[in-house]
Amino acid sequence: MLFSSIPFLYYFLPAVLIVYFLVPWKLKNGVLLLSSLFFYGWGEPKLLFLMVFTVLLFYFCGLAIGRTGEQRWKKFWLAVSVVISIALLGLFKYADFFIGSFNAVAGLSVPLLRLALPVGISFYTFQCLSYTIDVYRDNVPAQKNLISFGAYVALFPQLIAGPIVRYVDVARELDRRTHSWEDFAVGIRRFLLGLGKKVILADNFALLMKLFRESGEKSVLFYWMYAVAFTLNIYFDFSGYSDMAIGLGRVFGFRFIENFNYPYLSKSITEFWRRWHMSLGSWFRDYVYIPLGGNRVSRGRWVCNILAVWMLTGLWHGAAWNFVLWGLLFAAVLLIEKWVPALQKLPNILRHGYVLLIVVLSFVLFNAESMAQAGSNLACMFGFGNLPLTSAPALYYLRSYAPLFAAGFVGSAPVVRDAARKLEQTKLCGVLELALMLGLLLVCTAYLVDGSFSPFLYFRF
Amino acid sequence: MTKKVCAILLAAVWGLLAVSQLVLPDQEVSDAERRPLVQMPEISVESLLDGSFMADFEDYSLDQFPLRDTFRKIKSLFHYYVLGQSDNNGIYIAGGSAVKQEYPLNESSVNHALERFNYLYDKYLTGSKVYMAIVPDKGYYLAEGSSHLALDYEAMFTAFREGMPWATHIDLTDVLSGEDYYRTDTHWRQENLLDAARKLCNALGVTAPEAEDYTLTQLERPFYGVYYGQAALPMEPDTIYLLESELLKACTVYDYESGKTTAVYDLEKLESKDLYDVFLSGARSLLTIENPNAATDRELIVFRDSFGSSVVPLLLQDYAKVTLLDIRYIQIDLLEQFVEFKGQDVLFLYSTLVLNNSSTIK
Repeated sequence: MLFSSIPFLYYFLPAVLIVYFLVPWKLKNGVLLLSSLFFYGWGEPKLLFLMVFTVLLFYFCGLAIGRTGEQRWKKFWLAVSVVISIALLGLFKYADFFIGSFNAVAGLSVPLLRLALPVGISFYTFQCLSYTIDVYRDNVPAQKNLISFGAYVALFPQLIAGPIVRYVDVARELDRRTHSWEDFAVGIRRFLLGLGKKVILADNFALLMKLFRESGEKSVLFYWMYAVAFTLNIYFDFSGYSDMAIGLGRVFGFRFIENFNYPYLSKSITEFWRRWHMSLGSWFRDYVYIPLGGNRVSRGRWVCNILAVWMLTGLWHGAAWNFVLWGLLFAAVLLIEKWVPALQKLPNILRHGYVLLIVVLSFVLFNAESMAQAGSNLACMFGFGNLPLTSAPALYYLRSYAPLFAAGFVGSAPVVRDAARKLEQTKLCGVLELALMLGLLLVCTAYLVDGSFSPFLYFRF
Repeated sequence: MTKKVCAILLAAVWGLLAVSQLVLPDQEVSDAERRPLVQMPEISVESLLDGSFMADFEDYSLDQFPLRDTFRKIKSLFHYYVLGQSDNNGIYIAGGSAVKQEYPLNESSVNHALERFNYLYDKYLTGSKVYMAIVPDKGYYLAEGSSHLALDYEAMFTAFREGMPWATHIDLTDVLSGEDYYRTDTHWRQENLLDAARKLCNALGVTAPEAEDYTLTQLERPFYGVYYGQAALPMEPDTIYLLESELLKACTVYDYESGKTTAVYDLEKLESKDLYDVFLSGARSLLTIENPNAATDRELIVFRDSFGSSVVPLLLQDYAKVTLLDIRYIQIDLLEQFVEFKGQDVLFLYSTLVLNNSSTIK
């Protein structure tokens, strides 16, 4: 079920809120678990078993790790949880990628499995892994209550597109959390802002991308518009989802970690990755990079660590070579930034410029359906595609989408947030906020009713 | 206002919409969009497991949302005026008229239409005098001035001139303007078609209509054209005027599909959702008009789309019989069962909209 859908907004969410706030405390996690399983089953009825299996696997492995005093048994149960969950992720997400690559290299034709990718599998697998690893490291005690643990894994606000909430961060709230009108109001406001980002901005950029793909009159300008539109689309789509998740979490009494911090303001790629999909970056840092030795190893080993982490980051996003290359591209830039400190002394405008250029080009690679298409798109952007500089549709859509691009650029910077903070000091704040939130709700509903429907980009991860 | 009050008021509006969704009766059709609305899907183990119930329920919830037309209007206004988009769902307003952005030229569609027309000619029409008139859609007149995209009309006209060398081509572009079309609809206004009809009649070599031959009758019901619902922007409805004459009143129209005989202006369609259907009963595959007061015994066969319905009555004066064929609704190979091709005048009358989307031509 999509957050930006009528069934979620006007059937599921109101019903869950009513039941959740009516039942006594001891039943609240049960309500969350059941509603989350319903939420997941609505979109993936046949793969619900996989979710239930994952919950049971990590619950019992966590208990086993927590109860045994012997290190080797702790290690054993950790290995069980890691191997089985990675195997399932590999089977559902990566099997065909590896088979296809093997076929290409060996000249064979081993049949592909063509399994459906369970929605959100990368997110909930990583969340679960953080749980058993943290229990193994004695960072957090194992959860004894299956319903509470199930509610953590399946929690619908962040189930399918993050942020990757670690168990250790919500362990206390699972067992004891408070609810208030303040949390409800702040949470709903955050949710509606995220909904607006998704429905009004991201989906309209997606529409421009669709128009580009369907156009028979491509041009260099059109290719750049497409690339910039995707850069804004993926940011508002993904950060909008994170806003909705964080907002809903707040309504139910959880404080999820932030996932974005205006990444397009960055002055280096290193900074960009501290601001973009922060929960994934910190996950790889804490559970892969540092265990590999981080930067406290020889220079050669350190480079290998960086390449490994970024190759995995690329692969996490998708089972295709363009994602691997996308990850390695960032690894290369990060290494250059570390080896060439002079980059940090460039004027700010140049630093912003090079970050944005690399990010835009990287997303062209990211969004391509194949390496060949990525190469072709990049070639066309730089005038090697035998295309005219402009075309009638490119100019038309540039004019038509200019206000949306402007809104996208402004929305990528903290201008709106800063203005809202200033407004909070005034007496009119409450009335204006209510008017804005009602407006957002009605306009987003209007877009949905009119049928501008597109699934969240990050669902495929 | 405290955060609590703000949250309560917001939740109240949200809840009101949610409750309305549950308690308001479902609608059967959308008048604005001219389509049936999705009804509550049936639930079964199979439809739950394969996910079809969920997909159908999504469609149902969208179609049956309370105040659906109002919300579509909110979206259009926001999209058009706040986001500054040049069009909404491919429709824009120019000169107060809603226009569908028909772009780009669909060459495969043009080729398909040409292939069908040539097949038709080879099968039935060799030996007939054949004429071809393309009706420009209103984008021809309104796109450029409003900086919107428009298909390459000249390329289309050239393609048909060259692809139908056996026909005499009649250019209607210089006898029409953007004001000759309904503001809320795709079609042209009959009361403004005398110049176009004259040009057609002069080419066909028959008596051309004069304004004094007709009296103007206004239909009482306002006309909400097809773009009215699609654009969902605030627009005043159109008014339909009929050009009536004694000659037309004496004509009878036979509909081969229904077996009914009607008048040229089918007043039963006054209650129709599409008031334009009053012209020759709307979309019909095969009609014949018998004109007892014709000045000659000549006959005309018109291969046409819906634009023909309002202009053909103005071509009738000399023709004793006019046959109207819409080959989007009847196979070309079946025509000989109903029509005897014996050297009648033949007119192909097609709008650029159909020629650019000709997959429906059979």
